[in-house]
Amino acid sequence: MATMLGQSDPANSPLGLMLLDEITPVVMVLRTPLVEEACLKNGLNLVELLTPFSTFNNIDVPVRTASDQPYRLQKFKLRLFYASDIRQPNLEVAKEQLKEVITHAGEKDFSDLCSDPPQIEDVLSTPESEILPSWFQFFNKELVRSLSFSDHEAFDHPVACLLVVSTKDERPLNRFVDLFNTNQLPFLLNDGVMDPKILKHYLLVHDNQDGSSEKAEKILTEMRSTFGSNDCQLLCINSSQDGLVEHEDNPWAPYKTDASLSQPLGCFLNIDDFNEIKDLMQDFSSKHIIPHMEQKIRVLNQQVSVTRKGFRNQIKNLWWRKGKEDTPDASNGPMYTFSSIESQIRVLGDYAFMLRDYELALSNYRLLSTDYKLDKAWKRCAGVQEMMGLTYFLLDQSRKEAEYCMENAFNTYLKIGSSGQQNATRCGLWWIEMLKTRDQYKEAASVYFRISGEEPLHSAVMLEQASYCYLFSKPPMLHKYGFHLVLSGDHYKKCDQIKHAIRTYRRALSVYKGTMWSYIKDHVHFHIGKWYAFLGMFDVAVPHMLEVLTCGHQSKTTQDLFLREFLQIVQNTGKKFEVLKLQLPAINIPSVKVIFEDNRTYASPAAASVRESMWQSLEEDMIPSLPTIRTNWLESLPKNISKKHKQSNICVTGEAIKVDVEFKNPLQITISISSVSLICELSASSEEMDCDANSSTSELQNDEESGKLTISREQTSNSSFTLSEADFSLGGGERIMVQLTVTPRIEGILKVVGVRWNLSDSVVGFHNFESNLVKKKIAKGRRKAKHSPSDNLKFLVIKSLPKLEGSIHHLPEKVYAGDLRRLVLELRNQSEYPVKNMKMKISSPRFLNVGSWEILNTEFPACLEKKTDPEQRVQANHNKESHTVFLFPEDTLIQGGTPFLWPLWLRAAVPGNIPLYITIYYEMGDISNIMRHRTLRMYHNLQVLSSLDLSFQISPCPSRLKEFLVRMDAVNKTSSEIFQIHQLSSVGHQWKISLLQPVETMLPSELMPGQALSRFFKLENVRKLTTPEDKVSLLAPQEGSDVKLGSEASNEILFDICSSPLADFHICERIHQEGSHQEHPNSVDFILISQPSNDSINTGLPNPPPHLFSHHVCHCRIESTSPIWWLMEGPRTIHHNFSASFCEVKLKMTLYNSSDLSASIFIHTLDSIPSTSQLSEVMAGSPGNQAGWYDTSLLNDIKVTSDVLGMKVGKPPSLDSVSQFIWSGSCSTKVEVEPMSTAVVPLQICVFSPGTYDLSNYALHWNLLSSKDEGSHGKCPGSPYYLTVLQSA
Amino acid sequence: MIVCVAVVGHQNNPLYIQSFTEADDALKLHHIVHCSLDVVDERVNNPKKSGPTLNETFLGLLYPTENYKVYGYLTNTKVKFILVTTDLDVRDADVRNFFRRFHSAYVDAVSNPFHVPGKKITSRTFAERVSTIVKSFGLSSAG
Repeated sequence: MATMLGQSDPANSPLGLMLLDEITPVVMVLRTPLVEEACLKNGLNLVELLTPFSTFNNIDVPVRTASDQPYRLQKFKLRLFYASDIRQPNLEVAKEQLKEVITHAGEKDFSDLCSDPPQIEDVLSTPESEILPSWFQFFNKELVRSLSFSDHEAFDHPVACLLVVSTKDERPLNRFVDLFNTNQLPFLLNDGVMDPKILKHYLLVHDNQDGSSEKAEKILTEMRSTFGSNDCQLLCINSSQDGLVEHEDNPWAPYKTDASLSQPLGCFLNIDDFNEIKDLMQDFSSKHIIPHMEQKIRVLNQQVSVTRKGFRNQIKNLWWRKGKEDTPDASNGPMYTFSSIESQIRVLGDYAFMLRDYELALSNYRLLSTDYKLDKAWKRCAGVQEMMGLTYFLLDQSRKEAEYCMENAFNTYLKIGSSGQQNATRCGLWWIEMLKTRDQYKEAASVYFRISGEEPLHSAVMLEQASYCYLFSKPPMLHKYGFHLVLSGDHYKKCDQIKHAIRTYRRALSVYKGTMWSYIKDHVHFHIGKWYAFLGMFDVAVPHMLEVLTCGHQSKTTQDLFLREFLQIVQNTGKKFEVLKLQLPAINIPSVKVIFEDNRTYASPAAASVRESMWQSLEEDMIPSLPTIRTNWLESLPKNISKKHKQSNICVTGEAIKVDVEFKNPLQITISISSVSLICELSASSEEMDCDANSSTSELQNDEESGKLTISREQTSNSSFTLSEADFSLGGGERIMVQLTVTPRIEGILKVVGVRWNLSDSVVGFHNFESNLVKKKIAKGRRKAKHSPSDNLKFLVIKSLPKLEGSIHHLPEKVYAGDLRRLVLELRNQSEYPVKNMKMKISSPRFLNVGSWEILNTEFPACLEKKTDPEQRVQANHNKESHTVFLFPEDTLIQGGTPFLWPLWLRAAVPGNIPLYITIYYEMGDISNIMRHRTLRMYHNLQVLSSLDLSFQISPCPSRLKEFLVRMDAVNKTSSEIFQIHQLSSVGHQWKISLLQPVETMLPSELMPGQALSRFFKLENVRKLTTPEDKVSLLAPQEGSDVKLGSEASNEILFDICSSPLADFHICERIHQEGSHQEHPNSVDFILISQPSNDSINTGLPNPPPHLFSHHVCHCRIESTSPIWWLMEGPRTIHHNFSASFCEVKLKMTLYNSSDLSASIFIHTLDSIPSTSQLSEVMAGSPGNQAGWYDTSLLNDIKVTSDVLGMKVGKPPSLDSVSQFIWSGSCSTKVEVEPMSTAVVPLQICVFSPGTYDLSNYALHWNLLSSKDEGSHGKCPGSPYYLTVLQSA
Repeated sequence: MIVCVAVVGHQNNPLYIQSFTEADDALKLHHIVHCSLDVVDERVNNPKKSGPTLNETFLGLLYPTENYKVYGYLTNTKVKFILVTTDLDVRDADVRNFFRRFHSAYVDAVSNPFHVPGKKITSRTFAERVSTIVKSFGLSSAG
């Protein structure tokens, strides 16, 4: 047949080969024990002996079946079975066998499982055959075989019977008869499933070791006469006497699986025997079996044609079957004996199939399937459909049809319940092979899934096969591949096939590796780890468990489980596991910060964390610029310090290098960490030169290596430095910043390599600081940005130096604004060597100021009191150095741990968080060292709370020239502090402040929390014309005037605002409050001094040291912007007889020039009537109210003033009415006024009728006579002046 | 009842996955979602020939597992939405409607300037909105 040839021949596909192997004629073998005995000499039984020769690849036999056209059969195979084996295998035994197969395979495959799982790309590129475990094929075959010899299929029914008797048997002919007549015949023949009239072949076996074959020949002749001459044959074996025959390509080897061979197979069979067996089987097949089958096909076909073919027969058949409607609906349908037409059609079909006349087979199967369907014989029906599917496949005609048949058969098998399960599996396997042949892997996988069934081991294997199908499908379906592997692994685990489970999970890992599916990944890793541990392979288990440690996304219980399991496994390894880059706890590498002290030392960790640029700007003018210093001491260095080290960091023996490392617990459970320490290397300076080369070669190349390397180094050089150790436990999600220190003990090169810690006392974690990561932070914090990365953690250790330690006593953390108190700076030097030439600079002199040595022993605040004797005054630091560098006295030497004290003044100027930076420069008394100077940097943060809100308002006194009213508003903004207002001072000699009312009448001076308070003062300008020399010293308040505000008699004392520190702070305040105001001569500064009340509600501090509050308000200005002050003087009320003449009133205007320049003033009177003229008429109607315009309160006065001014601006003058008075005399007057002097200008008006007049309709134009100042001119509208003129009698 | 919804990025990385079951079957649902990505890929690479499905974002029933039905949806930016439900008779219109609402919730969530594209969606608002949508899906299909 043409279809049997060609490349894409389905017969050459795996399924085709499988079918050619499995669906072949069966020969039943019956033999006597003596035959078996003879064969076993070769280590083989009879069937084994014959099997290799019953497969023919080129038999070349002409076959003619139903059609007249003969064809030639090339490949052929006989299956030989002992009669006792021709029965359905025991299901349980079969299962056990399969299990054994799997277990065996698991052991075999497991050896290579300790390596890393392959990458998914590699998996995809490997050919199919390498990935698929080879035992799948075997497993599937065994599975199919477990269904052999079923009664509903005919291809397993023996086609012929081979009866074998030995020549040694007594009465061999009788033995032949006995063999077939025993009850040992398989049930198939006895139950009537198949025709007991079977082709028989008689074989006489002669063992040549038992003597010559003469006797055998005699028996053969006898046999021939009895059983027929064609059906009898003689086989002589064991011709080799010594049993040493070696067969090249031993034909039995592939069939004998168990390797326990005591002797070589077929050792007594020489080449003659060999050929004899071969000929025997060839002859048996071609001359007996095949012709017999042909014969049978023809006979059966004839029979079928007669009974079933043709229209008449079909009708009859249909009618006949309808009549059997009442047959029980059993799953097997009615019992069909071998003589029934259905069985015969089946035999016909199967024989045709085995002889590869697929057309014939198919037509018969089709015929049969409808019959069985009508009979509801589902199992048989399924069996037939299965065969139809296979036939279609081998015919390669209709793929759809083939698949349809397979699916149909599969479903039918499933439909009949548990008895069909096995068949369904077989059918499924064939179906899968069919799909695979056509590259329909995805469909194949789903079939695998469907046949996975209930039994875990079975389903495990099926799921694993399904997963490979997904892998091989185009394009590969990796997600499903992984999933099915995991499912399969679970099933393997269920039936204790741990090794298989690990294998599948490991394969699945290649899918999930590198993805974000952490839940799945964790699950896979965790189980692999657990299973390895179960097998006792703890070392392999640990890396997998490490993967799941950082499972922050998992639930708390899961995390707990993971960690516990991990620790247990690690403990089981029996050693301290050392893990590089252990993820638990996580280290925040960017946060790693190195703090070390070279010539910059820090008083507190907070000081160290301040930006370097901050300190640099502070120290700028205090120490010689750093590069020069550096070159200076480098020049003086001995030559042996190589240039390389010039760039590296410097630290001092005995002084700790601190490394801040942040640990974070990614889990929700608490983990305990112990023995956290740095990993360091220190090479002593003596070997420095040779070490240089070494260390550069032993750079951290390999992480793993370096981890081990450092431990050894650390242990050997343990004495050269000390490390701090930290133990802590991290709660869920907690972060902790740990400061680790290393203190070098000898000079040399110190290198900080990394950090190590113990997790739960069983795992040692390492983490190396990869220099490039740390670099960033260092470069940011330190000044050397251009370092090579490895240098950042490398330190040049120099010999020990004196180091100053400093602290400030009584520095509060929280103060109210205005708080003024004395602090003490304490400096200590523990070293024997003295330090000298100390300088100090403070960043914010507004808050912190250096006091003088003397006040250290005086009492505060008494030392601030105003002394009667001016000689005793502590002079304020008028020198500008308060802003720059403070030099300690020349003779100051600090050494040997004795404290050195110096007073400081603190004044909390403004509310807020105020950083205070103090840097102290000192030089070494011992010049021999390479480092000559160092700086001590101190940093404190001061929280200043707002206290009193103070404002001043100054307005000119309406009635007096050069006098002002001052209104002070104070609000206590605190929540608990009570202030006792003590004194108000104005600063400067040109102002004099005084009380408006006597002290006794005043309200109590205590200011409760939230309370507001207003006070009024009189301010007098006592300024004189100053010479330019005096102006320079204006900044410094030499003088001032004070007003005591305390109501109690005890507060007699006044504080001196002109001495240090108040004066110093005031200067700072002035500078700070200057803001955008330009310096104005007519501004005034006030200082309000208050004391904390004794019965203040306690703020929490038990016994606060004595302190004052001083509030400075600077640059208060008089509300008028004009430098010209004037006052109109004249009568207020006049009686005049208007009937006689109009009234002339003489007025006088006093002008005062408050500026430093002489002014030209131009008085311009206007005749247009201001808006108040109407008012004046109204007022004229009530002449009795003569005193109505006097002010009643000062507060109102201020308001009225402003209101009137506003009204004037707001209302346009009404031009339609005629003025009731006119300015007489000159309508404009111009005067020159010298600075700080007054001038008087006479004015005159004429009044024509009685009334009240507002004489404000004039304006002053002033112009300061200065060449450069362009803004010094202006115009002032007149201020109201009311004149009442009455008609005299 | 909807047991699980998921957002999967265009590199098949999980962006958001939320189960709505009492039982501790997160792992199973992760697997189901992960598996269904193959089917999504398949659907996308072999689109049905019919014309109107050219810009169709709704991918339909991806595959029925033993107890679940899995539906898929693909946005224009190749972000996949997966819905796992235990309902056996689900109307396509309901699922479409669900996905449309889910999509708009997603768009709002990723429009947040603080959301890093390609990173997991951690927005609480999004989670709340999704759970509302999921609940309403249960109601509409029940009623």
